[in-house]
Amino acid sequence: MLDTILSYIPKLLPYLSVTFEYVFFSLLFGSILAVLLVLMKLSTSRIARAIGYGYTTLMRCIPSLILLFLIFYGLPALLKSTMGINIQNANVIIFVIAAFTLFLGASLSEVIRSAYNGLDHGQYEAAVCVGLTNLQAFRRIMLPQIFYLMIPNLGNTVQYLIKEGSLGYIIGLVDVMGKAYLLNSNTLGAYVLQIYLALALIYWAISILVERVFALLERRFEVGYVVSPSYQHDDGKKATA
Amino acid sequence: MKVSFSAILASFTSALAGVPVTLKIVAVSFLVAFVLGFLMAVVNKNRVPVLSQISKVFISFMRGTPIIVQIFLIYNSLPSLLNAVFVTFGVPIDIFDVDPIFYAIAVFALSETAILAEIFRAALNGVDNGQLEAAECVGLTIPQGYLHIILPQALASAVPVLGNAVTDLIKTTSLAFSMSILDVTGIAKIQGAASLDYIDAYLAVALIYLILVLIFENAFKLLERRLNAHTQPLNAPAR
Repeated sequence: MLDTILSYIPKLLPYLSVTFEYVFFSLLFGSILAVLLVLMKLSTSRIARAIGYGYTTLMRCIPSLILLFLIFYGLPALLKSTMGINIQNANVIIFVIAAFTLFLGASLSEVIRSAYNGLDHGQYEAAVCVGLTNLQAFRRIMLPQIFYLMIPNLGNTVQYLIKEGSLGYIIGLVDVMGKAYLLNSNTLGAYVLQIYLALALIYWAISILVERVFALLERRFEVGYVVSPSYQHDDGKKATA
Repeated sequence: MKVSFSAILASFTSALAGVPVTLKIVAVSFLVAFVLGFLMAVVNKNRVPVLSQISKVFISFMRGTPIIVQIFLIYNSLPSLLNAVFVTFGVPIDIFDVDPIFYAIAVFALSETAILAEIFRAALNGVDNGQLEAAECVGLTIPQGYLHIILPQALASAVPVLGNAVTDLIKTTSLAFSMSILDVTGIAKIQGAASLDYIDAYLAVALIYLILVLIFENAFKLLERRLNAHTQPLNAPAR
């Protein structure tokens, strides 16, 4: 039993690269979308704010599985009918990245916004007063603190993404979960417990690793930054819990 | 792309039939998880030997692995294991005859237990330990002290996070379709496959989840306001 479990781990491990691929790209594109959404939420235009908050609510309420299905079936049809682009045969990872980009954009925008609101804005004014330009004040004074305040929530988001991304197997993605599914089908379910225990061990190890890394990051960036005491980590109010 | 309003409406009405199933899974697994999670939090807080170590490993495992993997472990592996055990010991239960909804509730209850245990741990830490001692001094037993003194306070502070846990659970139960359960998602999946009109079916489902989650979110907001009413100034406008 234990031998079989251990023998499946090396068969699954190479496919982690696919998992990390969609995690990386979803985070990258999701952050860009999130920054745009934050700008909308903080804007003076009522319409922009309504769109920003409405989009976030929408994403918070739809299960990622349904979003994944909607993108998988809807995106090719949408692109074909509007621009004549055929992505029917594109790599499925594109759909996974697209779905989680849309999703992360919303949840990260709340993470960034709550970090931004947690800052003491007097610091920005002080920085401008001592002669920094607006951009300098933002980049050298505000941004490092925003980043520090974001770290715990960012860690939760990464862990959430790694776990939710496993749903990609349903639309045919062969990541570490997809490979386990294929191995299970190939052996006609004879080793289902062993294969999925091996998979669970892999996910478990990664989750603990990610947790440690973000705890380290938090400690590393803590040095030298004084955080406004009014800020409390907003652990609950977003979909990454 | 053709998205027709009538097709969405048709899918919407038929997928509505899955709402009671979804809510049943959510309610039962949340209640089970509520009790187990609270017990686990108490065990962890008091550092009960052996039990607290077991519950820590359990919480870490459930939080560290995707629910879909847990489904494969419990729904796809457990029955044959149990069957082997039952056959060996001559227990007259046909394990393959069990309604899959029991497995769904088992999976979601277990994973929710881990989440609620963490929430309760934080909430219990927020309640002064002296209160339990005081309860003991005035003659309450420890379970009574927890039930009447600690739990109400811990719950009041945990309500916003519990609300999030419930809405997350509603969304997570969409995975029940992989256990061939006809909840909202399960019905939509079958319909989509039958009509080849997946987009409309899933748009309708997205709408149902949107409504469900918004209802629960607002209900918890109301509850939060009510439970924290004592912290409001006396002359606050009546709600």
